[in-house]
Parts: sequence; C-alpha cells; structure tokens
Amino acid sequence: MADHPLFSVSVVTPEGAAFDGEAELLIVPGAAGEIGVLARHAPLVGMLKAGSTRVHLGDGQVQEFATGPGFFQVLEDRAIALVDDAVKADEIDDARAQAQLEAAQAELAKIESGDSTADRWQLEQRIRHAENQLSVSGRSG
Amino acid sequence: MASLQDIRRRIGSVKNTRKITKALELVAGARLRRAQLRIEEMRPYADRMQELMVGTARAAASFRNLALMQRREVNRVAIVLVTGDRGLAGPFNGQVLRRGFELERQIRGEGHDVAWAVIGRKGASTLRFRRYELSAQWAGFVDRPEYHDAQGVAHRLAELYTSGEVDRVVLVYNRFESALVQRVTVSDLLPIPENVLEAGEDTDLTERERALRGDFIYEPEPEEILQRLLPVYLETEIYRALLESAASFLAAQMTAMRNASKNAEDLVDRLTLAMNRARQAQITQEILEIVAGADALTQ
Repeated sequence: MADHPLFSVSVVTPEGAAFDGEAELLIVPGAAGEIGVLARHAPLVGMLKAGSTRVHLGDGQVQEFATGPGFFQVLEDRAIALVDDAVKADEIDDARAQAQLEAAQAELAKIESGDSTADRWQLEQRIRHAENQLSVSGRSG
Repeated sequence: MASLQDIRRRIGSVKNTRKITKALELVAGARLRRAQLRIEEMRPYADRMQELMVGTARAAASFRNLALMQRREVNRVAIVLVTGDRGLAGPFNGQVLRRGFELERQIRGEGHDVAWAVIGRKGASTLRFRRYELSAQWAGFVDRPEYHDAQGVAHRLAELYTSGEVDRVVLVYNRFESALVQRVTVSDLLPIPENVLEAGEDTDLTERERALRGDFIYEPEPEEILQRLLPVYLETEIYRALLESAASFLAAQMTAMRNASKNAEDLVDRLTLAMNRARQAQITQEILEIVAGADALTQ
C-alpha cells in the first residue's frame, strides 16, 4: 500500500479505550456497509453495526477488533469509533465464544418453551456478540 | 464474675472475628482501587457520547418527539434502587432503601402511583419482605457490573416507559465521592432531561473542529442517529450509576470493616484486662488460702 499520512484514531468502549493512537487507515462496519477513513476525511457522523473494525498502522500492520454496535465520528484529522464492546481479533477465545453462544441459545430455547423468564433481548444481544467474535476470528485465523 | 476460662474463650472468639473483619477490610480496599479505575475508564466514552449527542441534536430538526424524550402526564413513577448483593457494608443498603421510601411517600403525596425496580439482592429481599410488588429486578452483577448488564437494565426500563406502564423513571443509588464519602443520589432517567441535549459548549473540540460542526455529513439522517443515541445514553447513565454504586459498596464495606476491626481490638483489650484481674484475684485467693492453711497448722 502506498504511504498515507497518519492521523489520530481511537476505538473507545465503556470499559476503556481498545485502541488509541496514530494510524493511516481505519475501516469500520458502517450500518450501510464498511467505511474506510484516511487522514483529512470530511467530518462525518455515522452508525456502526457489530462486525470487524480494522486499524491499519502503516507498514502493512493491521490491528483487527470484533466490535459491537455503536457510533462513528470523524473530526478534523481524528476518527473516533464509540462501540459497546471491542475484542482484539487475536485475543478472541473461540472455545469460550462458542460456549457462550451455545449457553445463550439454550437459554433462548428455554424462553421459547416457557421454562425461563430471562430477558430475551439481552440473550439475543449475547448471541450476536458471540457470533460476531466467531466470524471475525474465523476470517483472521 | 466470669471465670478465667470463659474470658479466655471469649478473647479467642473476638480475635477470630477480628481476623475476618480485617481480611474483608483488606479485600475491599484492594478491590476499591480497581472499581475506581473502572469509573475513570468509562469517562472518555461517556464524554464522547455526550458530545456526539449534543452535536447531533443541534443538527436534527427536532428531538422532542423521540420516544425516550416525550414528556407526558404522570400517573405512575418507577423508582429504581441500586443496592448490593451483600451486606456488611455499614449504611450502604439501608440509606438507599430509606431514600427510596421517602421518595415513595412524596410521590404518593403528589397523587401518583409508584412502581418498583431493584438492582441487587439486598434491596429485593427487603422490598419483598415488605410485600411490595417488583416490576423488575436484577442481581448477581452488582459487585462487578459490566456494560451488557447496564444494557439489560436500560432495555427493560425503556420498555416500561415506552409501553406506557410508567411515565417517569428515577434512579436512587450511592454516588461515589471518595473512599470516605458516598452520597445517596436521586437522578431522573426517563424521560431523558432535555438539558442533556442542550448541554454547554463541547470543551474538547478545537476552534476549527467547532467551526466544522455545521458541515458534518450525517449518515443516516441526524434524527435517525439520535433515535439510536438516546438508548445508548440511557445505558451509559445506568452503567455509570452501577460502577459508582459498586465502588461505594466497597468503600462503605472497607469503612465498616475497619470500625469493626477497631471495635474488636478494643474489646480484646478490655477482655484482657478483665482476664488479668480475674487471674490476679484467683492468685490472691490461693495465697490467702495457703496462708490461712499454714496459720491453722501452726496453731
């Protein structure tokens, strides 16, 4: 890839910043498709869906995260992704994500049959989160 | 007067209690630092979110008709209490409950109905004991709340509000001011106060960024983004309260356990004194008996 100027990029979650530093390209899962942002992009506010967020650090180095839904803001030479959760792709524990997925699906099945009063919406979120992690790790691995 | 043996036994038991309270104090102290750190860590997210909301609201044509902002005539108010799963934390749980009941009297005095929702086992058991009906309850995560716990709470409360079951939602929790001060705070959750969107100037923006504000591309429309932003704002507020409450719990526990350890030490001192007196009395008694016995022999 040709050399691009660096700009400031942060991926922020309620549990702290997942990434905060300089990068040459940021690709986020926009609600209507992936959005790639380089330095000096026009100011933008958008929505993000759960998916893969990639930070290109330059020299071919890429950091990938499995991110939850959130928002995206580009200011003058600064891009901020505000997401409810971010897990580094190489730190995703497939077995754990799979176990979480199955536990949530089992609980959901219990609700369907009337054996549980757990919050359906929350379970659906958990399933989506686990699926998202699995799909991101599947691609990078 | 208690026998020497009794006092020894009591000293042993008080010392054991002290070991427990001391351990709890130390554990709470160590976990408190971590809990405080988590409050710090969420601040950038909350600030950015607020900034984004203010900006988007400015760009939106109107926001007063969004579901979570709509003000309507109040019939029923939901009181949400944030308590702990456990006790041994001094006034932590009691003061939230007390404030909740005060609030209930006040709301009923204004002629409105009250619905209860409780986070934490302690509050739920107290309310159930008093035969209150709970519209919602959560437990198991108050020690170490995660964001998705706050999402679950926010979703349920938003549901209660949008379905018209309640017309106002207030949150009562222990706000963390310092390791020594935790203040019971009542905050309005729903409808979302309008001043949130009209909040003052964004402090973190450069002059040029502020000038650019009008030229933002919104994808999709600002109204639509705002509609997604409001629930997230609610989640963030609840998450903040959960984190503050968790830190307050540990701080209150640390203080309570420190006092308990101190009391145990005082008690051990007093008992030791009593024990020495009793032993002295026993020795004196024995000497008297020996002397009396010897006297009897010489006569």
